[in-house]
Amino acid sequence: MLETLGNLGAGFSVALSPPILFYAFVGCVIGTLVGVLPGVGPLAGISLLLPATFGLDATRAIVMLAGIYYGAMYGGSTTSILMRIPGEAASVMTCIDGYAMARKGRAGAALAIAAVGSYVAGTGSIVGLMALAPPLATFALRFGPPEYTALYVLGLLVLAYMSSGSMVKSLAMAALGLLLGMVGIDQMTGYFRYAYGVVELGDGLGVVPVAVGLFGVAEILASAGQPAPPEVIKPRMRELLPTRQEWRESGWPIARGTVLGFLIGILPGSAHIIASFVSYAVEKRWSRHPEQFGHGAVAGVAGPESANNSATSGAMVPMLALGVPSGPIPAVMLAAIMVHGVAPGPLLIQQQPQLFWGFIASMYVGNVMLLILNLPLVGLFVNILRVPYPYLYPAILIFATLGVYAVNNSVVDVWIMLVTGLLGWLLRKLDFETAPVVLGVVLAPLLELSLRQSLAMSDGHYGIFVQRPIAATLLAAGAALVLLNLYSFVRRGLDWRAKLALAEKGEAQ
Amino acid sequence: MTALRAVLLALALLSAAPVAAADEPYPSRPLTIVVPFPPGGIADLTARPLAAAMERLVKQPVVVSNKAGAGGGVGAQSVAIAKPDGYTLLLGLVSISLLPERDALFGQKPAYTRDQFVGIARLNADPPVLAVNAELPWKSVKELLDDARKRPGEITYASSGIYGASHVPLEMLLQAGGGLKMRHLPTTGGGPATTAVLGKHAALWASPPALALPHAKAGKMRVLATWGATRLAAFPDVPTLKELGYDVEYYLWAGLFTPRGTPAATVKALRDAVRQSVQDPEFRSAMEKAQTPIAYQDADEFKAFWDKDAHTLAEVVKRIGKVEDK
Repeated sequence: MLETLGNLGAGFSVALSPPILFYAFVGCVIGTLVGVLPGVGPLAGISLLLPATFGLDATRAIVMLAGIYYGAMYGGSTTSILMRIPGEAASVMTCIDGYAMARKGRAGAALAIAAVGSYVAGTGSIVGLMALAPPLATFALRFGPPEYTALYVLGLLVLAYMSSGSMVKSLAMAALGLLLGMVGIDQMTGYFRYAYGVVELGDGLGVVPVAVGLFGVAEILASAGQPAPPEVIKPRMRELLPTRQEWRESGWPIARGTVLGFLIGILPGSAHIIASFVSYAVEKRWSRHPEQFGHGAVAGVAGPESANNSATSGAMVPMLALGVPSGPIPAVMLAAIMVHGVAPGPLLIQQQPQLFWGFIASMYVGNVMLLILNLPLVGLFVNILRVPYPYLYPAILIFATLGVYAVNNSVVDVWIMLVTGLLGWLLRKLDFETAPVVLGVVLAPLLELSLRQSLAMSDGHYGIFVQRPIAATLLAAGAALVLLNLYSFVRRGLDWRAKLALAEKGEAQ
Repeated sequence: MTALRAVLLALALLSAAPVAAADEPYPSRPLTIVVPFPPGGIADLTARPLAAAMERLVKQPVVVSNKAGAGGGVGAQSVAIAKPDGYTLLLGLVSISLLPERDALFGQKPAYTRDQFVGIARLNADPPVLAVNAELPWKSVKELLDDARKRPGEITYASSGIYGASHVPLEMLLQAGGGLKMRHLPTTGGGPATTAVLGKHAALWASPPALALPHAKAGKMRVLATWGATRLAAFPDVPTLKELGYDVEYYLWAGLFTPRGTPAATVKALRDAVRQSVQDPEFRSAMEKAQTPIAYQDADEFKAFWDKDAHTLAEVVKRIGKVEDK
């Protein structure tokens, strides 16, 4: 422990040196921007800026790129709360309650809670990264394809169990998402599915264009279809800060989101997106007022916003401790340090203590910077709401199109955004939730790949899922959840979900 | 007289203008090198220093554009159908030969064919290494293959993707070992494949040397052989498969291509520019840092190499055949 503190001290002396401070700041600013602009997410931001880091040394490069990654999690909530347009895919859940809060005139409070939650989660999860990286990374290695399959199945069951309202409708939407996620090259056989000769569809429907389409474009279409333009909410300065009540309601969600996000972040895939979904579901289940969710529940902003930030630190665990990426973003960051001749691997922490501890310390510093940067911006961003809709929405549409195009320089992605936008508008008219569609698109490739990889490992025998202890435990947990559901179904008693649906019905009348 | 001369001069200038446009010196505007993979991969890490070195020689900006997707198919197709004027180039990897073969296997219309490209130069050629999880018993290729012979289809190897750059060399080895069978665990890239081997979800894989080196040093992976013709500087004690008596040779190479139909003079200018660029000290140091030795070949030599390589790989892919779905 003492040694860790000593190392961290040395790390801070690196992190607080002017050049590192400068690059951390640049990273945080770019990250916030990338997060605020709809379409451009952290992956696009980091990929676009990677070449610019080739001239820097390895520590500066990784400090700046990491700043973009966690900075984007701060910025992502802004447009979600103000306009129901996710700044990046991990803010989809924030759209629901954040925007509802904004409609009630609590936009400032939502933004402030998102920023503080992100800060607490960012800082808290770095402690986890620092203390637990080597043992956790070794444990994560024991997760092979069968374990991931079991985990994703459990995840889907948990989310289904926790969703309120019509379960059939939520499941139908998740299934639609899973179907959309099937488009693209079959990773196991190399066959092109549902691509109809469009080479760009080989990689499937990207999460970014789908999320921006389903939420952003659909929202703009829905507003444009209203007979009278939505009322412009003029925020007053004294309403910017959260009330004591709102702080109290966000405390535990932030803490839970931090732990959840960190643990989910270690797993491969788009962890920051999945973490925000799981956190939202957990908060709703845990809440004493689940009926408030969807109508401006503070916990629905605090939890997911903390979780997605914390997941970014979790994603660094396998990257720093083992030198293997847990997803596309850490993969680009690994490339950034490899360019400088630093070989990422299990010996990185020993061989490059300056880089490792400097990087950790710079994340502490970066999170403070982001808090200082974002809290005053709350006042500024809230003023966006004053812009009349006829000017605001076309501008947003332009930014979203540019952002989605920039990710792969692909016009096909823009079409995907527009088509899913129409689809999202239609689904909203028919009273379907669109968040499960996004979740399906995120999970489909992961679930499919790990399921089929498991079967490749076992030569087609499904026994592999029960022979491996971790996978078996996870599946047993999932089965218990289903049984629990069946039990209340058989007893014909009203479980909490039915009560919730009734309560919502009562509210509507 | 002077007036007449002025008029004649003006006329001459006017008539000369379009002619100048038709055979304007190459290059007279920025060049684009398309990298069909995301930033940070080996294609990108080769393209950027190359672009910087070429820029200094051709006195025009050389822009690197990442057009990722479909395992390199999207970017390659975009160059295949680009105007063959020498302003749009492709930095292709060995997989450029594999994608059309995969499409042919499934009876799909290929996104592009090899004929649509002319090679300007090969830039590097790195043989993969056979990396096994260090906790597993095999100390040599022979031990591994003997075990595979005893337990057909039970040892699992990982790859960066089906019919991809690390799937094919392993199948070459198994075919050379007498038609041996192992289970194949395809993943989505070098990082996931490394993770699978480290976590013992797969036993081995054909790894780029730079990826295997840190894990070999840390004692987590054992490197049994390399696919090259000569031993690697980074692994001086590791034998080549040829030394061990297996007649296979395979390289993860990168080359610069232009669409077929590019004028001969333009191709010549590009060849000269690349030949000088690979001598550039900054390019050399960038390649050294990326741990990818330069293995330059000019157009003619490269063409012979590529034709032979593509032919071999096509045979391997055909022998692997369509992967049966489980």
